[in-house]
Parts: sequence; structure tokens; C-alpha cells
Amino acid sequence: MKQWPLSNLWKKLPEQVRRLSILGIILVAFFLMIRSLLIPSDFGKFGHYRASAVEEIASLPMQYAGQMACVECHEETVTLKGKGYHKNVACEICHGPAAAHTRDPGSVKLTAPRGRGYCPICHEYLPSRPTGFPQIVSNSHNPMKPCISCHNPHDPKPPQTPKECSACHGEIAKTKSLSHHVYIPCTRCHNVPKGHKISPRKFLPTKPSTREFCGGCHAKGAAGEKGIPQVDLATHGKRYVCWQCHYPHLPEAH
Amino acid sequence: MEEIIRHLTPLLKEITGYIYPNEIELHWGILVVIYPYITGLVAGAFILASIVKIFNVKEVQPTYRISLLTALAFLIVAPLPLLAHLGHPEKSYEIFLTPNTSSAMAMFGFVYAWYLMAVLLLEIWFDYRKDIILWAKKETGFRKWLHKILSLFSVDVSERAIKFDKKAVKIITVIGIPSAFLLHGYVGFIFGSVKANPWWSSVLMPIVFLFSAIVSGIALILIIYMIVTPLRAKQIDMVCLNKLASYLFYVMIVDFSLEALDFMHRIYESEESIKILSQLVSGKLFVSLIVIQLLIGMLIPLGAIATVKIFDLPDELKKQIYFLSALLVQVGIFTTRWNVVIGGQLFSKSFSGLTAYKMTFFGMEGLLTSIGLLLLPFIILFVLFKILPPWDEARTAVK
Repeated sequence: MKQWPLSNLWKKLPEQVRRLSILGIILVAFFLMIRSLLIPSDFGKFGHYRASAVEEIASLPMQYAGQMACVECHEETVTLKGKGYHKNVACEICHGPAAAHTRDPGSVKLTAPRGRGYCPICHEYLPSRPTGFPQIVSNSHNPMKPCISCHNPHDPKPPQTPKECSACHGEIAKTKSLSHHVYIPCTRCHNVPKGHKISPRKFLPTKPSTREFCGGCHAKGAAGEKGIPQVDLATHGKRYVCWQCHYPHLPEAH
Repeated sequence: MEEIIRHLTPLLKEITGYIYPNEIELHWGILVVIYPYITGLVAGAFILASIVKIFNVKEVQPTYRISLLTALAFLIVAPLPLLAHLGHPEKSYEIFLTPNTSSAMAMFGFVYAWYLMAVLLLEIWFDYRKDIILWAKKETGFRKWLHKILSLFSVDVSERAIKFDKKAVKIITVIGIPSAFLLHGYVGFIFGSVKANPWWSSVLMPIVFLFSAIVSGIALILIIYMIVTPLRAKQIDMVCLNKLASYLFYVMIVDFSLEALDFMHRIYESEESIKILSQLVSGKLFVSLIVIQLLIGMLIPLGAIATVKIFDLPDELKKQIYFLSALLVQVGIFTTRWNVVIGGQLFSKSFSGLTAYKMTFFGMEGLLTSIGLLLLPFIILFVLFKILPPWDEARTAVK
């Protein structure tokens, strides 16, 4: 009988290697078989994913209808909302996905959050929210009342104009309360135009712009209470404006 | 939504300074701490075993097989914390079917598989083959068949075959060392390559991880050897123990120097993150980094082993000092992982605020699961000791 060169090599291998090789071949064959069975045929056509997944996701039923669909029936409410602070908040953010409701308005009704839990998702005080964004501490802000009893969500405005700057600038107010500047009213340094309380971004308050402004209290010889730290403006950090080193709302901080 | 709010509210009180909203809650919890800790133990135990084979260190021969089996027991558990953390373990095999070469995490599956199949199992198989065949010959019933299957029905115990086994073990060990370096170096790489995180992003990270892995591996073998030997009513081999403690001591010095180097490098570079990092180290991480990792986990064991080396203490005292030092080292290395994983997420990427980590007790990401995952390798090791006894007398009994 003719001997194949491979069968010669096989016989020359040590016994244990032959057994391991068989196991190895079985494992590799098993792996290849699993691969050919389980990898979807359209995998990798566009990228490292199944090409048909795109169509599958695209064919999922639509849940959201979009704001334009709401206008068709609720024109008045949408117009009201379009003038208020919530003009950029889509209807479905509060009312939930509305596609089913637009198809069958009679039997599918949308709900709106009525309790106190929902509004604080955007309006609870968080240091990372932009200054001036209306924020409250819900535990102390009329704790028993639902938000909608005072604020109309389609045209939210404070029921009365805030009296204190801290109503919106909570973090600055808190910081300032720890500093020696606590008794200085905000308006001593900031000129606040009338419209600011109604349209905060349109009418911005002023900020001090010169070293001499701080010098009004802190320059050597300036009139004022005893104990206010005073420096010689001519020599003290001359190339810089004061607030490059001292944070005016907490000048003690380093 | 309500649930998320309820969950985040207590955390908000722990925040200091300015932090981005998506940084309030840590995404990698204690499970991701356990994962590098366990992989480190695997790599460390294997490297100890390799020292025996490659450098032919006869003194630590009694721990060779214990190290191999320990590495295997911990390697089996190593991916479990990740599976528990990610969820959907039934989908995990898919990373093998469609390998994504641009993802370091996806490629780790192959590093793991290579290390398990091509290194550890093969080395254990070649090392035990002769013994398994001889055990199977003497045994009956279930154990006989178990050992027969484990030997792949191999029967050749001729001198030539055994010589081949020994050669194979040596070759696998030589391949195994870079593989073990790759296995744990990878874990450091994953953290070290996160450019946006100044606490992690460091080229030294894989090397520091590797040396701390070797430290923890040697300490673990020392602990297991010191617990198992008296349990089997045998005498602890003091020569072996002294050598193990010496290795532990020297690797700890290298590890300590590397960490100190990394620390000095950071301070000298003084990048813009240095202020928040120093706040982190002196505040939220003070206990776990300075007190536990540095003092309890590094300096005290180093001092203790150095004392043993300088003064010739009685053997009984030596044993106690070694054992306690190794335990402290384990605590220290665990907190090292903690400080890397948790510490790296405690500060804001704005560099001006800190958050806090709240661990739960129950649940997939909780303390209970973690304790279970840390105990599981010891149960597996117990079973492995029963199936493949690593003791010398098990070897000689069949001769």
C-alpha cells in the first residue's frame, strides 16, 4: 500500500501530541462550524454590524408624531407655548409619544404629569445648570403644591416677579453668603436693567470693568468701614484687573 | 425617571464643586475593581510558576503546581465580573465570532482564550499527564474515568514521552511569560489609554499593573501554601517560604519604585489636572490610597519582611510575619485596583468638582455579588486540588 507523506509525519508525532492535535482540530472545526452557522450572512456589509439591522430598526412602528401634528388640532395651545419660555420644549417631552393619539384621538388619550416629580428634572437646583436658568430647591419651594397650580406649563412664568436675585442665581447667592461681601447688595456692583427680570437674556446686567471700581472700597485711604482690606492700587498686581485673582462673590477663596 | 431621581438625589449631597451631570454616578463600580484584581492574581501566580521552570529555582518547587492550579481557578472566574457588569452574558460569545480588531476590549477575549487554552491548560496538561495516567490505572469508578478523559485517553508513559512532556512544559512556559505580561498588561493598557482621564492616562500604567500583579500573585500563593500545608498535616518547607517571601520583597520594591516614579512624574509635570488630583488624594482617597494602599499594603509588609531578613528570627515568628504581610499585601493590592478604578471616576473632567461612589449591598453590582465572585475561585481551586492533587506524595504514591 502506498504511504502518504502526511501519514508518516502523523505517526512520527509523539502519542500525546497526536491526541492533543485531534482535540485541537475538533475545537477549531467546532468554532468554524459555529461561526458559519451563527454569523448572519449580511454581517459586515456596511460596517461591523448586521446590514439588515438598519431596515429592522427603520421598520419599527413610529412612536412619536412630532410637534407639527399637534398644531393641527391644538393650535391655540401650541401658539401660546410658542410665545413662552417653553417654546423650544417639544409637546411630547411632557405628554409622551403621540403617534397613536394622532391616529386615533378618540380612544388614545395622552396624559401630562400633574405631580411635583416631573418639572424638577429640568428645574431642580444643580450646580452644573447654566446661571440664570430657573432653578428651585423643590423641598423648600412650596413643598405641598403641584407645580401647575401656580405655573401654566404652556406659558410658564413666575406668578409674581422675583424680588430677590437669588431666585434665579441661587449658587452665587449661596457663595456670597459665606463671604465678607454678604451685606453688599448685588446692585452695588451690577446695574440691572428693568427688563432683566422678565427677559433675562435680552437685558443683561452690567459688570464692573475697572480696577478703580473695587478701589472704591479697597484702595488705600478709601472711605469705608474699618477692617476692609486696603491696598495700594499703584503697586498691587498692577497689570491685572482685580477679579483675575479675587472672585468677587467670595474674595476670601484662593 | 422617578427611580433615577430617587437614586441620584442622595448622591447630589456628596458632590463638591462643579461636576457634569453624567459624572454624578460612577459607571464602573466594584465589579470592575474585582476584575483587574483577579486577572492580576492569575498573571502573578503564573509568573511565579514560570520562575520555577525557567530559572530552575528548586526552592519554590513545592508551590509550582499550586501556582498553576491557582492561576487556572482565578482565570476561570476572571471574566465573570465583567459579564455580571455588562449583563447579557448569553451574548458574550459573539465577540469571538465577529472579532473587532479596532477595539482593545474585544481583542482581550482572544488574549484571554489564548492564555487559557494555549498556555495554562496546555502547561497543566503536559505537567500532569504522566500522573493522571498512573492515577487512572490505580483508581476505579468515576475518578478513573474522569482521569482517563482528562488524559485524553493517553497511555504512553515511556521515558521518551515523559522527556517530551518536560520539554513541552518548558516551551509553553517561555511562551507563557509574555502571554501573562500581555494578559495583565492589557488591563493596565485599557486604563492607561484613556486620554481624557489624567488619573489613568499614563504609559507606565501597564507596567505598574503588571508588577502589582506579580506582587499579589506571589502573596496569594504564599497564603494558600501556608493554609493548605498545615491542613494536610504536613510541615511547611521553610526554605521554600523564605524564598517566596524574598521574591515578594524584591518585586514589591520594584512595584513601589515604579509607583513612586509615576507619582513624581505627575507632580513634576504638574498638568492642569494636578490640583483636582491632589484634592482627590488628600480627600476622598486619603484612607484608601495613603493609609491602606501605601502604608498598610506596602510599607508595613516591606518593613516586616525586611525585619525578618535582617534579624534571624525563629521560624514560628517568621511564618506569622510572612502570613500577615501577605494578607496585608492582598488588602493593599485590592485597594490599588480600587483607587485606580473608583478614583479615576471621582473627579469631574472639568477638573473642578468631586463626586462620590455609593456601593449597594444586593444586586448584580453589589457587595454581595462581589464577595461571591471573590470566593468562587477558592471553591474551584478546592475542586481542582481534589481532581489534580498538586502534592508531592500524590506523585510518589503511584510510582
